[in-house]
Amino acid sequence: MDSFFEQFPIVFKALNLGFLQTLKLFGVTLLGALPLGLIISFGSMSKFKPLSAVVKFLVWIIRGTPLMLQLLIIFYFPGLVFGQQLWGGGESGRFIASSIAFIINYACYFSEIYRGGIQGVPHGQQEAGMVLGLSKSQIFFKITLLQMIKRIVPPMSNEIITLVKDTSLARIIALQEIIWAGQAFMKGSEGISGAIWPLFFTGVYYLAFSGILTLLFGWVEKKLSYFKA
Amino acid sequence: MTVLEVKNICKSFGRNHVLRGIDFTLEKGEVLSIIGSSGSGKTTLLRCLNSLEFADEGQIIVNGETIFDASVNKHPSEAELRQKRLHFGLVFQNFNLFPQYSVLDNVTLAPRLLKKGTREDIEKYARGLIGSVGLQDKINSYPCELSGGQQQRVAIARALAMKPNILCFDEPTSALDPELTGEVLKVIRSLADKKMTMIIVTHEMTFAHDVSDKIIFMDGGVIAEHGTPEILEHPKSERLQAFLTSF
Repeated sequence: MDSFFEQFPIVFKALNLGFLQTLKLFGVTLLGALPLGLIISFGSMSKFKPLSAVVKFLVWIIRGTPLMLQLLIIFYFPGLVFGQQLWGGGESGRFIASSIAFIINYACYFSEIYRGGIQGVPHGQQEAGMVLGLSKSQIFFKITLLQMIKRIVPPMSNEIITLVKDTSLARIIALQEIIWAGQAFMKGSEGISGAIWPLFFTGVYYLAFSGILTLLFGWVEKKLSYFKA
Repeated sequence: MTVLEVKNICKSFGRNHVLRGIDFTLEKGEVLSIIGSSGSGKTTLLRCLNSLEFADEGQIIVNGETIFDASVNKHPSEAELRQKRLHFGLVFQNFNLFPQYSVLDNVTLAPRLLKKGTREDIEKYARGLIGSVGLQDKINSYPCELSGGQQQRVAIARALAMKPNILCFDEPTSALDPELTGEVLKVIRSLADKKMTMIIVTHEMTFAHDVSDKIIFMDGGVIAEHGTPEILEHPKSERLQAFLTSF
């Protein structure tokens, strides 16, 4: 199969499957890391010094080492050291290991963004709520939260767009995401070999998806632009 | 009728003794101005009254009820605190309006959350307050669309919406451009005319002289001189004399 038009439907189908895996990893990471990041940020802001010290140390380790290294360690460590395939074999095992690595890594980055957002809301806002007799939870939900969200939207959108592309790192443990799918046609797959264009074509998926996210975050930012905080 | 009795309030931050035994009383409908240089403890005193800080010693009695006694309970529960705070309103130097809410919502937020009446009643009362500070045409504006003077007037209406017994002002015009102080002082003056009980920390000497029934001059954490506004014309203590010549 040498003609582009013969190759295209086969490649398109394979890339779609790969991109589905990319999207799954992206979605699961957000689902896990967004709430976990909030918990970590509360830990690092804790007034109980030993807790905040431990949390800050862990954040330093995770942010200070490559995500690719974390992926390799999480995937291979249980098998090599304990002789136990903790994640199970096959694609689902690789997906679980990738998800855990991504969730931990991204939660640490998100936690710092949350911390900046929470600490960025002036203390006077809380005090204004307090002298009006509001409870702590009323102050958080009715006064602080929206101001915090407004502050974290730009750095969050940055981080989430980075996540779209970082999912390709899972290729290192052979997760069959879109880059893996594109690369397969170079080596030879489904009767196509030596084709470089599928790899270029994967870029189109990333561009389209990050374009959609950019528009989405732009819309949220615009929605919140009616006030200054 | 005595609304407020403050007895021997002392407060330190570490080794810094900010308040060293403050005593005064306030009658219903009286206006008290607290003057003094920065660092004399004026703001800390207001913050103790509003339970934003807790005094190390002393008592605060409102309408005969002891709302704070350092010898009994230095750290009351959140529910108790919320009740106590409602005796006082506080207008901040930096306004601290809620940026995401309109003028009307800033004023109605606390009464609505604390269920101080039906939504209609609360809104009607809030509209009246916003009108009385001269901002009826800004009722749906957001704080970022207002000048500093307008924001401070909204902050006054917001504090009044909770119907405090005593309204406190912490240097209400210090963050304003000079041409905007007049509109805020006018509102405070009109409240004095309506016999609102108020405590005003201020650097506006002429205003303090005209609007107050009592003046307290603080220096180094104590009341160095107190009396009627007369004391601004004829200060007895050297410290007040020195302070007044700096204006």
